Amino acid sequence: MSVGKFIERLLQLIPVLLGVSIIVFVMMLFTPGDPVAIMLGDQHVTEELENALRHDMGLDLPPHQRFFKFLSNALTLDFGLSYYHRQPVWDVIASRLPATIELSLAALVFALVVSIPLGVLAAVHKNSLLDRIATVTSLFGVSLPGFWFGILLIIFFAVNMHWLPVAGRAGFESEVAPITHLLLVDSLLRGRIDAFWDALRHLILPTITLGLPMASILTRVTRASMLDVLNRDYITFAEAKGLSKTKILIKHALKNALIPTVTVAAIETGSLLGGNMVVETVFGWPGLGRLVVESIFVRNYPLIQAAVLFYAVTYVMLNFFADILYTMLNPRVKL
Amino acid sequence: MKRSTTLLALVLASALALPTAMQAQELRVGFTLDALTLDPANHRNRETETIIRNMFDGLVTRDSDMNVVPELAESWTAIDPTTYEFKLRPGVTFHDGSPLTAADVKFSLDRLTKENAMGGQTSPRQSLLGPLKEVVVVDDLTVRLVLESPWPILPAMLPFQEMVSQAHVEAIGQEGMAEGVNGTGPFKLVEWRKGDSVIMERFDGYYGGATDISPTGKACVERVIFKVIPENSSRVAALLAGDVHIINSLPSHLVAQVEANPDTKVMAVNGTRTSYIALNNQTGPFADIRVRRALAHAVDRELIVDKILNGKATLTNGILSPDAFGKNDNLPTYEYDVDKAKALLAEAGYPDGLTVTLDVDGANKEIAEAISAVASKGGFQINVVVGEGSMLTTRFRTKGEPIDGQMWLTSWGNGSLDPVGIFVPTHRTADRGNSSGYSNVEVDALLDAANVETDRSVRADLYGKAEAMVNADLPKLYLWVAQDLYGVSTKLTGWKPSSDSRINLHDACLN
Repeated sequence: MSVGKFIERLLQLIPVLLGVSIIVFVMMLFTPGDPVAIMLGDQHVTEELENALRHDMGLDLPPHQRFFKFLSNALTLDFGLSYYHRQPVWDVIASRLPATIELSLAALVFALVVSIPLGVLAAVHKNSLLDRIATVTSLFGVSLPGFWFGILLIIFFAVNMHWLPVAGRAGFESEVAPITHLLLVDSLLRGRIDAFWDALRHLILPTITLGLPMASILTRVTRASMLDVLNRDYITFAEAKGLSKTKILIKHALKNALIPTVTVAAIETGSLLGGNMVVETVFGWPGLGRLVVESIFVRNYPLIQAAVLFYAVTYVMLNFFADILYTMLNPRVKL
Repeated sequence: MKRSTTLLALVLASALALPTAMQAQELRVGFTLDALTLDPANHRNRETETIIRNMFDGLVTRDSDMNVVPELAESWTAIDPTTYEFKLRPGVTFHDGSPLTAADVKFSLDRLTKENAMGGQTSPRQSLLGPLKEVVVVDDLTVRLVLESPWPILPAMLPFQEMVSQAHVEAIGQEGMAEGVNGTGPFKLVEWRKGDSVIMERFDGYYGGATDISPTGKACVERVIFKVIPENSSRVAALLAGDVHIINSLPSHLVAQVEANPDTKVMAVNGTRTSYIALNNQTGPFADIRVRRALAHAVDRELIVDKILNGKATLTNGILSPDAFGKNDNLPTYEYDVDKAKALLAEAGYPDGLTVTLDVDGANKEIAEAISAVASKGGFQINVVVGEGSMLTTRFRTKGEPIDGQMWLTSWGNGSLDPVGIFVPTHRTADRGNSSGYSNVEVDALLDAANVETDRSVRADLYGKAEAMVNADLPKLYLWVAQDLYGVSTKLTGWKPSSDSRINLHDACLN
């Protein structure tokens, strides 16, 4: 891709983000629920305090002023104060982001590691028992609701077998000074095998719950595209040349079959963000998804706006990345 | 090949099962929500309060019967109706070793009540101290709280106003207070892992806590962790797995699971939250008192408490909880009586019954459906509509403006157990919790008079009269005060749940 194209794609981000900002703002404007009333809850307070809080939150301004204030501040990456934490929104989000990134990456790795070999094997041994098991399992994997499957894993692995912890990111003893804020990475960098092990134990169940739907989709994609590739003439030609079966599979078939898998994976990584909201709640995982859900219930507008913008940027960037990857893997495609 | 796979599986399984290094005296609480901040003056949130009250003490606290008793104060006296004098206990130190003085108390209270006293912000807790006008330092260990007008509930409002160190706040600044704890409480902060846990360790220099609540002295356990697990089923699973020792907000449908496990048990305490159905008194069928009374006779509250809440609730015929100050114990009960309900409905012009809509949030859906089923025998066809809590709040709590709806199953909490916190907001004309559009000038006058009455028995009497009036007017169908349920490990001793939903871990031990 040329530099011009690259810049053009980046510029396309601007209308997308502006559109997302307007949509989110308007949606929140028309959603009933008063942040001040929710914050004060069941308490006897004076009208003056209510008004003072409304003023503190900037909710006494008319909607259009609030919107332009939000936009102009957002340009400088200032999203204001979270109503509830009474701290800058970006600080609150930043404190939760590493946990979400670590879990999403783990789920992505899990999905790739499971789906690619499984999809390839299913395609190679088409209609075998293994193929059928893979097909049925992936059907379940896509359709199981995350909160239900997560609880099921907890009951078996944590409550009955006592193998893994129920919730959280790490025990107290596995404290390591942060470098990347990803516990698995930091504990290795600091040479703390015990902390790495503890973080891994905490990560296993949420990773499986979050990564399962993606693994299932990727298994099906890999299988289908592998089947397609295996029927191509160049494979028949390679076989006729007398190349070994493994060599044909890995060098000729897999490389081509993976093109759709990789692009779907890049796009699906965006949907991990959505799945995070459920999985983080079930496993008490201290990530961004849970924070956003909690913020929606209490109408914490500044935080919701900033988080949605963040999600939008991530999604757009992932799509962009998928396009680039596609052109690299498939030279016939030009952007 | 096969043997090595099996071996590998075994090694993996046993390695997974290896417990991480863990000290015996680490008490873990599975808790619904994380703290929003660790600054005691900068929030208005029950869960935040519950967590940080273990690191900060107040001038006074409550014993297990909810009586207000001295904590950092040694004693207090009301010099006149608008002046209270507090004597501080000598020898109390903050976690950094510096002594607590009257100047710190003045600083802490000013920070809560004065405009812009927190680095330009005003504390959201300001109104909790009502007419507090001024705090005067008399000597190093004596302060006077001067009120603008008589306010008898001052001591009852003080247990949740914690003392901070002036030097500490000035050193770390307003922003630093969100995470920098230097209190006088039994535990000091080790680390706050946001969204995950608040970790505290025992403060060995603790002065001992309230003398009226034994045992005194430093805390029993060495370390305490509040671990955030918002999902009910996961929180119960963490208790059953032994990962945590106490869980809050145990839902009644999961009680059986906790009771069935030999290592865990259920603990209950009378709550402070009154459940009721707000009825639209402004327009529609419930504007007629006969229809409201008919509904009261048509709902079998005992049956619902028994079947849906597992018996873990106390019926109430008024807005106040049976434990509240000023509760009228002689309120008449609207007995479950299907014939009476039908007769009243017919009298009101609905001889063939009445179809109405009951709004409810998701958490109370099951109860609403039970009410609907039960009331059908009494001539009420109730359609249950589930909505989101904040939206329903906007529709019903209208401060006197027209209400959009007929009936709403809701509740109001009252941690202070003083009627001011619940009776006034839910029943005074156009007040913020008045979700019935109810207005009765006599009730308003009684509530206003009680607000400034300093004689306790006269004050209780005023509330008693007001409650008798609303029991007759029935702006809401008063239901019950549910118990707060906790799941605890059988290893835990010395801890009891508290009505004000505080989790005080000072006395808790692990065997």
